[in-house]
Amino acid sequence: MKILVVEDEKDLLESIVTYLKTENYVCDTAADYKTARQKVESFDYDCILLDVTLPDGNGLRLLEELKVEKKTDGVIIISARNSVDDRIRGLNTGADDYLVKPFHLSELNARIAAVIRRRRFEGNKVIVLNELTIDLDARTILIHNKNVDLTRKEYDLLLYLAYNKNRVLSKNAIAEHLSDNEVEIFDNFDVIYTHMKNLKRKLHGAGCKDYIKSIYGMGYKLEIEV
Amino acid sequence: MKLLNKTIRPFLVYSLTVLLITIPILYFVVQSVLLEAVDKSLRIQLREIRSNVDAINSEQELAAWSKLDKDIVLEPIDHPSKDSIYTAYRFTGEHHKTESEPYREISGSIKFAGKLYNLLICSSLVESDDLLGSILTVQVIFVLLLMGGLLWINRKISQKAWKPFYNALNNMQQYELNKNTNLPFQESDTDEFNELNQSVRHLHNRNYQIYIQQKEFTENASHEMQTPLAIFQSKLELLMQTSPLSESQATIIGDLENANQRLIRLNKSLLLLSKIENNQYPETESVDVNSSIKKIIAQYQLHAEARGIRIQTSFRTNLNIRANTTLVEILVSNLISNAIRHNNEEKQVFINIEEGQLIVKNTGTHSALSEEKMFHRFQKGTNSDNGDSIGLGLAIAKKICEMYSFKIEYKFSDDCHEFTVTF
Repeated sequence: MKILVVEDEKDLLESIVTYLKTENYVCDTAADYKTARQKVESFDYDCILLDVTLPDGNGLRLLEELKVEKKTDGVIIISARNSVDDRIRGLNTGADDYLVKPFHLSELNARIAAVIRRRRFEGNKVIVLNELTIDLDARTILIHNKNVDLTRKEYDLLLYLAYNKNRVLSKNAIAEHLSDNEVEIFDNFDVIYTHMKNLKRKLHGAGCKDYIKSIYGMGYKLEIEV
Repeated sequence: MKLLNKTIRPFLVYSLTVLLITIPILYFVVQSVLLEAVDKSLRIQLREIRSNVDAINSEQELAAWSKLDKDIVLEPIDHPSKDSIYTAYRFTGEHHKTESEPYREISGSIKFAGKLYNLLICSSLVESDDLLGSILTVQVIFVLLLMGGLLWINRKISQKAWKPFYNALNNMQQYELNKNTNLPFQESDTDEFNELNQSVRHLHNRNYQIYIQQKEFTENASHEMQTPLAIFQSKLELLMQTSPLSESQATIIGDLENANQRLIRLNKSLLLLSKIENNQYPETESVDVNSSIKKIIAQYQLHAEARGIRIQTSFRTNLNIRANTTLVEILVSNLISNAIRHNNEEKQVFINIEEGQLIVKNTGTHSALSEEKMFHRFQKGTNSDNGDSIGLGLAIAKKICEMYSFKIEYKFSDDCHEFTVTF
């Protein structure tokens, strides 16, 4: 799977690439509009992460050109601007998603996975983690091929952990993800505790191994060897 | 006071003063002129009588002559008297029996046939007074006409001359910095107004430049702050993935991340506040407050449930207002998140919509808060367990209310903290 990261901030670019590489993505990078354009013309990407403010042009222009050339690359805009107008404009120009800086890398990773899944027509409609199967279309999970009933939030939580498997997810990242990134979240993590407790109980009850580990002082991790 | 009235008023005051002073002066001047004329004719009469008295032959004739003219009184005296002239009031006994009439009289002694007589000649002043009255009336009418005409002409000229000024004023009143880019001014044939227009245009251009710069600054600040915050955040997350990590290291990383998240929220709130202050949410539309509230409650449901807080709603009416949807949602969201955050073991939140009002009520600390301070920036609740509050929520709410002239009030009653927004 090939991803192009267009971001002029070197440190942020490095962080993104480092995080995504362990996910077995092939990452290309571009620090300015010109490079990004050349790369987009020469290769096809499964997903492009696009910063709006580039030193030599507006990232949205690249998006417009992609549209003109009828390229089907998935695009996630990463912008420091959090205004409704920009968001609407970005999505109207054909972006698949819009993420406001600063973001959690785990959130970015989950969004990329979702975009790639939506863009691909064949296969990958399920995530299989040993005895645990997540059906992305039906939004259900199976354990040992048996349906387990989860609430919407519990499903979201599990999917988020699964997209970022074997990574430590901070409580802040999880809380923000569960709150749909819309509301101001509270420092208090009661929200996660309740849902995490219920999710773990349900998984355990259906005979799933205890993959979700609590990481002291930081957050949670879905630890699994597939 | 209106400008036109202001310019006319001194004229009016001056004219009236002059009028009030000149009327008595005129009266006395005309009166003395008339009196002088009467006196002159009386003296001539006396002189002529003295020089022609010898034409009378006998005392009987003299008595007859004096009786014929009722304006003449002749009395015999012993000593000669000096000539004197004076005004006297007398009852004539003819038409006005009760009223006295003014008379001018001259008295002097004359000699006739070796005997001394006092001769009194009088002349009625009634005609002179009538004349005086007529002159004054004409004068007053004339002055009033003159004054009225002058005022009217002045007003007309002023109105015409100040028209470009009022046009410019009207334009400026309707002008909004963030909407139009140029002020439409009327060219005028008055130099001063053209200069004024030019100055205002210049001022406006400068303000507009500053406004644009400020807007750019806000955007730049946003970008500049968020990039290092984003880098810091991403590096922390990468650090979390490294192993081995001891428990104490993990705790430190976790704390760093919490602090950074707060910094991120703080930055977002500050930006929002400055954006509202810079009027960067100019679009207004009809907002259905009821559905906005329902949407926000749904977003906070998760947090409320996690804290065991019950949100009760009572929508008595359907509230529609004209405002910016985003801002209304921020306003509602800040009030509701505060009600959840600053709650106590009673865990109650009430959201009511009444006619033109939104009321958000919650249980919490058992004493009233300082209404004066709470809407200021960085005023945090006194509860130590509310450490996640950044103290900008109510400042933002207040700013939004100010922008649309909504009224936001705080009340502590029935052990509940109550915020009322009157639209």
